[in-house]
Amino acid sequence: MVAATAKKEVECILAARDLHKHYRMGEEDLHVLAGVEIAVKPGEWVAVLGASGSGKSTLLHLLGGLDRPDQGQVWFDGQEVFRLRGGRLDRYRNQHVGFVFQFYHLLPELTALENVLIGAMVGTTMWGWPLISREKRQQATDLLEQLGLGERLRHRPNKLSGGERQRVAIARALVNNPDVLLADEPTGNLDQKTGQQILEVLQSLHRAGQSIVMVTHDTRIAAAADRQVTLEGGRLRA
Amino acid sequence: MYKLLLVLRYLRRKLAPMFAALAVTLCTAMVIIVSSVMGGFLDMFKVAARQASSDVTVESGLGGFPHYEELVKRLESLPEVAGATAVVRSFGLVRLEGNTNGVEIMGIDPGGYDKVSDYKKMLYWTSDYFVKWIEDLKNEQGGANPQEQQRLEEGARYYRENDFRQYAMQFEIPPGWRNARAENAGESPEAGANTGGVSGAADTSGGPGVVLGIAVSPYQRRDEKGQYDFENSPLRSASSREVVVTVLPVTKQGGVLEPAVRKMIAVNEFKSGLYEIDKNRVYVAFDFLQKLLKMDSHQRFNEETGNLSGEMVPGRAHRVMVRAKEGVTSEQLQQRVEAELLKLGTDYEDVGPLLAVTWQEAHQGLLGAVEKEKLMVTFLFAVVSVVAYAMIAVIFYMIVMEKTRDIGVLRALGAAREGVAGIFLGYGLAIGIVGSLLGLFLAAEVVWNINEIQALLARTVGFQMWNPEVYYFDRIPSQLNPKEVTVIVGTAILASVLGALVPAIAAARLNPVEALRYE
Ligand SMILES: Nc1ncnc2c1ncn2[C@@H]1O[C@H](COP(=O)(O)OP(=O)(O)OP(=O)(O)O)[C@@H](O)[C@H]1O
Ligand SMILES: [Mg+2]
Repeated sequence: MVAATAKKEVECILAARDLHKHYRMGEEDLHVLAGVEIAVKPGEWVAVLGASGSGKSTLLHLLGGLDRPDQGQVWFDGQEVFRLRGGRLDRYRNQHVGFVFQFYHLLPELTALENVLIGAMVGTTMWGWPLISREKRQQATDLLEQLGLGERLRHRPNKLSGGERQRVAIARALVNNPDVLLADEPTGNLDQKTGQQILEVLQSLHRAGQSIVMVTHDTRIAAAADRQVTLEGGRLRA
Repeated sequence: MYKLLLVLRYLRRKLAPMFAALAVTLCTAMVIIVSSVMGGFLDMFKVAARQASSDVTVESGLGGFPHYEELVKRLESLPEVAGATAVVRSFGLVRLEGNTNGVEIMGIDPGGYDKVSDYKKMLYWTSDYFVKWIEDLKNEQGGANPQEQQRLEEGARYYRENDFRQYAMQFEIPPGWRNARAENAGESPEAGANTGGVSGAADTSGGPGVVLGIAVSPYQRRDEKGQYDFENSPLRSASSREVVVTVLPVTKQGGVLEPAVRKMIAVNEFKSGLYEIDKNRVYVAFDFLQKLLKMDSHQRFNEETGNLSGEMVPGRAHRVMVRAKEGVTSEQLQQRVEAELLKLGTDYEDVGPLLAVTWQEAHQGLLGAVEKEKLMVTFLFAVVSVVAYAMIAVIFYMIVMEKTRDIGVLRALGAAREGVAGIFLGYGLAIGIVGSLLGLFLAAEVVWNINEIQALLARTVGFQMWNPEVYYFDRIPSQLNPKEVTVIVGTAILASVLGALVPAIAAARLNPVEALRYE
């Protein structure tokens, strides 16, 4: 039985088992996640639907190792994420997952190119960086060009449109070739046409074999995914 | 690596860190300027004090001590000693230009005294002043009297060819300077000076010359450049340079004899750099004062017979001043001198108790006060700086608040807590370095040009912060002490990092999820 479970988790790139998350507000106890189970296979695109406040973002943060669950585990590639010690959790976020947010969250002081590169810089030391900086710079430029931003490398975020910003954010999430892309309502802040463009980007990434977990309200966007699950009452429903 | 990038970008983009850097700049500059000027002040005092009292002084009470010649000879043979000289000294009255003042009267051998205290350099009036003064007189008269012009011409030439200070070095009265009233009641001041060149030979017999402290005469005033004008000097005329000196001889047992009064002639003035000394001291010849104080070698008076006994009493002096050779500290010299005093005490029973005092000990009151003052002012400004660094902490805290969401993003990208703290510490370091180096440049610019700045201020807005008429040095000290500057700049940088520490820790402790929610 135990062996079977372990085997199942190895088959998935990312899995959550019995995740619980509470928020305590004074006397009130908000049980946002109450035993969430999810398993993402390599190359799979999972869409997470759910009402506002149902805990979708919270789930994504737990999967990405940005927040800790009160109970349960997150497994990545056969390893338990919250057992990682000594900077290895930071490394997990840096190397194995990539976050994309609804409000882009680019750093306003940096150019588009630097915003992409910073993801790569975080993963190296000051002494290691010069050795790989050319390669990474090339990779980041290529990524931005693929996303149609070849002319915008030196622009700061405040000079870019919402769609362009989100594409920079996607490039940033991809610069370290993460195993799983975690996208929290990537089109939530965009008009329909621009949202469609972003969706196309995700689709082409998916075709290239990228595993994606995407949170969205929008059933039409969710339809592009391999599989839809809905978060309701703290549990996931297929 | 991302830390460096962000530090550089944050530095370039924001106004708040500019203010933080500016605060560091101003504080650093302020502390450097204050401690440099005060330190320079202290150094000037020290140089002047050491010059005025040599390195070590051997002292006795008012009665003086015998065998000083032997002591001088023994001290001069020591390898640590550059020179030694005996001094007699008394308190007395000096009457000049109608004013009577209490002063310290020192009898010195100018040659020996010069070896222990740069005496010659202290003498204020040189030939140049006389030549200029005579030239001015000549121009004033405008060729009215050809004979008079001729005499002035010769007077000027005489002083051009002879070092005027030489007279003071011998307490010799320059030719033609004899007491005007005694010789020629109607003699004009100019004539007194300029006949020197012509009828010099008749009058070089020497005599009781006196060298006055430059502030002894109440008519002496410094101009706005801190210079003295020969016009106001007692030396300017035959009548004004006449000085009456009164001393009270003190016996070896401490009794007081009849006051001795002598008419003397001022042959120069000296400026030591210490106002207290320049206001209250005059120099006369050693032998002259020794005799006046009845401290010279003489035959003992036999009270029973009422005749001279034929037994010689040795002459006495009050002090022996000793200058150390280069590289010998005054404390080392003091020890050597003390050993020598012990020996002298065993060789001669009548020497009495003697004390060897270093110049630091002699001027402890003044030096201590200036030292304390420097420390206190620097400390006060350091306290002001603490306020500035508290400001840095506040500014940094504001920056952290403003950057909360970015911090969340960085954590999501995999940055460690320490990394986030590192950004802000590095930021503090950068601001500390930039600010304090700018402060150093500012301070150097101000300190090196402080005299020019003050002259400019005086000229344009009439504000004179340094009044050489009040302060005793004619220039504001303008030296940077490299060691002190290094400490101050280092402290400023360290303080900036410390100022950033609390905000940096706060940034590191942010919960990334909440940071991302932050609007
Ligand atoms: N730090 C917190 N303290 C208290 N309650 C919180 C906290 N973070 C989230 N919550 C609550 O947890 C619930 C789930 O939040 P979450 O952001 O995961 O919802 P969501 O499904 O992403 O909603 P939306 O679609 O609006 O983004 C919400 O009710 C929210 O108010
Ligand atoms: Mg959400």
